[in-house]
Amino acid sequence: MRLARRLGIKLAAGLVMIWLVASGTFFLVRLMPGNPVTVAYENDLMHGMNPNQAKAATALLYGFVPRQPLPVQYGRYLWQLAHFNLGRSISYEGVPVSHIVAAAAPWTVIMVLSGILVSFLIGVSAGVLAAIRRSTKFGDLLSVSGSLLHGIPQFVIAILLAYAFTTIWAIFPFGAPYDVTIAPGWNLPFIWSLITHAFLPVVAYALSSYGGWLLTMKSSVISVLGDDFILAAELRGLRPLTVARYIARNAMLPLFTILALSIGFMFGGSIFIEEIYDYPGLGYSLLESIGKRDYPLMTGTFLIITTAVIFANILADLLYGVIDPRVRRI
Amino acid sequence: MTAHLTAAEQRTRPAGVAVSDLTVAFPAGGRELPAVSHVSLDLTPGKITGLVGESGSGKSTLALALMNAVPKPGLVTSGSVHIDGIGNVLSLTGSGLRRVRGPGIGYVFQASQNSLNPLKTVGKQLLDLGRSHGEKNLRGLLRRARELIEDMGLDAVRVLSSYQHELSGGMRQRVGIVFALLLNAQVLVLDEPTTALDMLSQASVLEIIKRVHRDLGLTTLVISHDLGVVGELADRTVVMYAGRVVEEGETQGILRDPRHPYTRGLLAAMPRITGDLELARALPGRPPDLLTIPRAGCVFRERCPLAMPVCADSEPPDTLSGGRRFACFAAAGSAGATSAGHAETEAAS
Repeated sequence: MRLARRLGIKLAAGLVMIWLVASGTFFLVRLMPGNPVTVAYENDLMHGMNPNQAKAATALLYGFVPRQPLPVQYGRYLWQLAHFNLGRSISYEGVPVSHIVAAAAPWTVIMVLSGILVSFLIGVSAGVLAAIRRSTKFGDLLSVSGSLLHGIPQFVIAILLAYAFTTIWAIFPFGAPYDVTIAPGWNLPFIWSLITHAFLPVVAYALSSYGGWLLTMKSSVISVLGDDFILAAELRGLRPLTVARYIARNAMLPLFTILALSIGFMFGGSIFIEEIYDYPGLGYSLLESIGKRDYPLMTGTFLIITTAVIFANILADLLYGVIDPRVRRI
Repeated sequence: MTAHLTAAEQRTRPAGVAVSDLTVAFPAGGRELPAVSHVSLDLTPGKITGLVGESGSGKSTLALALMNAVPKPGLVTSGSVHIDGIGNVLSLTGSGLRRVRGPGIGYVFQASQNSLNPLKTVGKQLLDLGRSHGEKNLRGLLRRARELIEDMGLDAVRVLSSYQHELSGGMRQRVGIVFALLLNAQVLVLDEPTTALDMLSQASVLEIIKRVHRDLGLTTLVISHDLGVVGELADRTVVMYAGRVVEEGETQGILRDPRHPYTRGLLAAMPRITGDLELARALPGRPPDLLTIPRAGCVFRERCPLAMPVCADSEPPDTLSGGRRFACFAAAGSAGATSAGHAETEAAS
């Protein structure tokens, strides 16, 4: 009951945030230099449509009719959005944006989530080691590896990996999510093709956030090691394994906040990584839509990425309440 | 199981603790600075011993040394801690040492400290404690926990399902005592058991310590900076200053007739309920830290009203007089008592 109420409040707050972002993108489109709505409208006029036809075509494209007062346009846009209608793409010749986004989203979501999972597991374990062995060469080496990788921008890592493993030492295929000569389906060659194509992008995601996990976990473990209750557990003769579990669970707490933030960071990074690896995800569509001035697709993709980040944050927030009894509120 | 058996055997005769010639040093700048220096001390079986001293006097380090848990980089450089039925704790390592902590010696943390895992309920942590020490009968363990909790005037069902942050300071302290006693430890060490508690909680915690000590036939060490707490609880009192035991004896005797000028200073600094607050006189100067402890001579001489030339040259030997032990040239001279020489000989006799 309490959880349901918490969830309700969070979801309501999430919807408000999505509304703010949607409004932001709406006015961004309207205020952009060159005014894409007018440009599309005038483009149609130039192609020989009469004003009414052009108005109808633009309305179909954007989900709202230009030349109406801004508040009316805004209201119509929101109304369409409430019905999950994101308008139609320009570059894909009137294909609904929701279709394009729905096709692109799984690639990005799977990539980003595997990247986070891999980097989280490796980074957190390395962080624990770096904390325990902090006065040894090995511990220093781990910390340095974390700072170094944390400092390299995501796209640089992606380009270096692509150059090293698809060009100099071509052990991985380049581009596209799978080998087009293999028929998609539940067969081994296709799945293997998916995995080999996904490997480098996932490694790029993982390497770019590994350092953050390592450094945060290291400092978190060190601070928990100094906590009174760890000494108390040792003085009560608790088994080393039990003490280690106490340390791990307490040290993980601050990482949950960062997990939520890093999902946003990863989705942002997908713009570079999907472009570099030619991966047909959300980041790729966003970049392409900017290049082709496909404004409906651009706002739609942006809105979906934002929504995903907001929901990830809500999920992390709820999980935090599950693992830390102190933040549970009546 | 064996731990329980020996505990039951010892129930008839409480375990004694003998600390002899204990030195704990912390390396700093190429030197080893002693936080506890050649301390010899007996905890009389079945009695409450109070350990008093200002912060930095080494009392907590001494208490941790009883558990062989001196925090790094501190090192035990000499001495032994012998506990009846266990042997020299300082020679234990690894799982042998782990098995003594809990079933052998119970340690209760300072009241202001958070001694519980904030993410687990008290009940689950009590079970962790039992499992860590190979307790098979977890039902019986919980029953004992419930009895102990009720015994401390708390609601057992509520406490067992509570997290640390849901308990008040006084409740946490009582729960800390439950953890220390759950595995039938015969020696109980309490570090600042009432610090940071309000007066009422303080009084009830002191009452509880007295009662469990008596009912379970424990050998208890209470560490406090507060002579009032020690005076209230302890049968014997040990006064520490700069890592040394400067005076030791029956609590009543020490409170009535302190010999060492430091003990006198501590008593004079205590405000009385009756009488003017102005009558309480703070000790002049500040307690030394590890770096400023005098290298030679009496460690207290710089703050001592009775300092003599000899105090700067050599460390005062222990003087034994009527069940009292103190380390002071001036007090020894006025008492005309016999010098026992070094602490080791005193402890051995």
